[in-house]
Amino acid sequence: MSVWAWLKFVTFLWLLRKGFRLARWLMVAAAAVAAWPVTVVAGTGYAAAWLRGWPPARLYRTAAWSLPATAAWLVALEATDPGFLATREPGRAWGMGWDQLTLAGLARTFALLAPVAVPAGLALAGLIWAWRIYAITTGLGGIRASAPIAFDRRQWRRQIRTAKGLAAAPGAVPLLGRGGQIPVGGTIRAIGHRWHPVLALPAAACARHMVIVGATGSGKTNLMIRLWAGWFTATLQAARTGRGDRPLLVVLDCKGGRDARRKADRTRRLLYGAGARRVAVWPDEARLCLWDLPPDELTVLLYQMIDSGTGAAAYYADVLQAVISLAVLAPCGPPLSTQAFLDRLNARWLQKAWGDGRHVAEAEHARAAARHLPDIQLRYATLLRRLGPALDGPGTLAEADAWYCILEGTRERSVAEAQAMALTELAAHTATSLDGEPRAMLLAADDYSAVSGRVPLSNLYERGRSLGIGVQVSAQSWQGLGATEDERYRIAATADGGVFVLHTPHPEPLTALAGKRRVLETAHRLIGGAWGDEGTTREQRAWTADPDLIRRLAVGQACYIHRGAATFVQVARPKPSPLSLLPPPAPPIAPVPEPRNEPAPAPDPWPPPASLDDIFGPEAP
Amino acid sequence: MTAPNPFQALGLPERPDLTDEQVRAAWRNIAAATHPDRPDGGDLARYTGASAAYAELRTPWGRSEAYADLADQAGDGPATTPIPVIPGDEPPLVPPWQLLLALTRVPARIRSGRPLRLAIRGLIAAALSLVVLQLIPGTPAAPADVLGLILWFVLTGRKDLAPPPER
Repeated sequence: MSVWAWLKFVTFLWLLRKGFRLARWLMVAAAAVAAWPVTVVAGTGYAAAWLRGWPPARLYRTAAWSLPATAAWLVALEATDPGFLATREPGRAWGMGWDQLTLAGLARTFALLAPVAVPAGLALAGLIWAWRIYAITTGLGGIRASAPIAFDRRQWRRQIRTAKGLAAAPGAVPLLGRGGQIPVGGTIRAIGHRWHPVLALPAAACARHMVIVGATGSGKTNLMIRLWAGWFTATLQAARTGRGDRPLLVVLDCKGGRDARRKADRTRRLLYGAGARRVAVWPDEARLCLWDLPPDELTVLLYQMIDSGTGAAAYYADVLQAVISLAVLAPCGPPLSTQAFLDRLNARWLQKAWGDGRHVAEAEHARAAARHLPDIQLRYATLLRRLGPALDGPGTLAEADAWYCILEGTRERSVAEAQAMALTELAAHTATSLDGEPRAMLLAADDYSAVSGRVPLSNLYERGRSLGIGVQVSAQSWQGLGATEDERYRIAATADGGVFVLHTPHPEPLTALAGKRRVLETAHRLIGGAWGDEGTTREQRAWTADPDLIRRLAVGQACYIHRGAATFVQVARPKPSPLSLLPPPAPPIAPVPEPRNEPAPAPDPWPPPASLDDIFGPEAP
Repeated sequence: MTAPNPFQALGLPERPDLTDEQVRAAWRNIAAATHPDRPDGGDLARYTGASAAYAELRTPWGRSEAYADLADQAGDGPATTPIPVIPGDEPPLVPPWQLLLALTRVPARIRSGRPLRLAIRGLIAAALSLVVLQLIPGTPAAPADVLGLILWFVLTGRKDLAPPPER
């Protein structure tokens, strides 16, 4: 074969290929023109999806929602032209349209065919848009090599804009959605989760365990308050219809300060709007009683509240524990106030209380510990004075619908740690107490890392799990979740209610929980600056929740990770319905219960005789 | 006819918080004293009664059930008292006219929402409906188009309303 013949053959093949491609496009164009009403709708739908960052699912759902109009059209058609004649109507309307190529004529044809053209066009737009996304993200489409990156960035921007618009609409993201769901905000992007315009969590997710990680100013507070109010509203409604227990929300704000008061005030207004009768702010406006705890638990708590080292100090720790046991478990009953407890740390009191002859061992212990008692009393006097009167009663957690407890973890860490221990113990006691009304409880700890020195977060978490109460914890970073890597993983991996990650510089360990997904990656041969027509496609693994995307999240944006999938969401600021009938707020000070009398130690079984006559009788010499 | 008291049969106090060991020890004592294989012939009736009682009280669950049965027989009321209703927290009655009630709230929800946007949506839907009725009066497509526009208005306009008070 000569060179000329070979050139002619190659040119012929190239022309043939181009000819086929042209013919294919011409056929598509002819079909598009012929079915122009469908094309118009499909084009509009596609453009809307492209400009607003909608996923194809949005177009499919809109198509489905337009089907009632199609059904109405079919019914009307059957009523006017019964039977087979009805099927000719769309064709007739379409044919008439070509005879009147004026604006009014085209509008008339469109109106006649709209009941069919709208759902068909929207469904077609969805299919084309899904293909476009697939082609661009896998590298099959686009003109330049950077097309996937530019496409993703542009769509992300548009998705955020749409989600922000939705979050700002007054009725789009209420505090409580249909079916007891808690709306969080407008969905930006869903990866692995089913897409809904508004991300809504079932109230049960909050009743399990949830982790929220976000740097200061990332919108963590808004998110948490929204979840609390949503959970409270959902649980209260369920209780009112007899499908559950009344809610009890206990919030531990572990940083304290002026911000905490503002947050408490916002939370309280929102909860009043949601139907709460009494929201107590501790320690500013309400008190709790540490001495209401059962004696055994009180003994353990009082012992744990004091730093008692190891090594040689273990001896003193044992003495301390023994003394507390003697003071709290005395036969006359546990102490009912701080002062009563301090009074008991006295050798005479203990020996009198246990000296009834039936507790010989305890009386002996009290005598042996006598020389340590002044030190122990001094330590407890100092600790309990620093804790303040807010744990000295009166008041119980069950008296309010919600408690907002402010711990000064930044200013007075050791005091806040002791308070956190006491409050957690009171919450556990309320959850397990068989005396009162059973309550559905959510214990939320905001920035718990500020007070987690004594009771690690994992303890709180596992305790909550065993008691059947929901625990929600927030931290400013992955490191804030626990002291060791093992503890952090334990907390994050058991968050069966999901993990919210807001802007944070090191999200990788959390995003790893969402795992990876399979994606296609196409490599093209470049010819000059453009893509050639040869290349390869291979399967790759990519983050389900992209850490770089999380690092770039703006204020109020969050990534919800649950069951190996992720949804990016624009959190809506929680606001109660303006139509809410605000109940009259209860008086801020807890009602004072009946005064309780400190039980006196048991009477001495062998009181000193008044005179010798009592022993020897009156006739004795 | 009242059922035999299993606690009595084993000579145990009527308490739900007995331990497995206490129950087992009581049964073994009675079994050793009344077994039919004893040289003196034992006491078959007492042995059978004790064995049946042991089978009933062997587990903590069985003991609590037996205790609850005894409490019922004694006429002390149910073993677990119902939780008292807190005044003011009774479940609200769902009136049959709730839908009508919801409709009466719509004006307030419009006022507290985004009335301007809602009005614009409503105007668009109304104008297009008029155009359709003008262009294709009396055709089967006309009511379908109007229905489609109403659906669009309702579905997109929902978010411009303030949420109802209970949400």
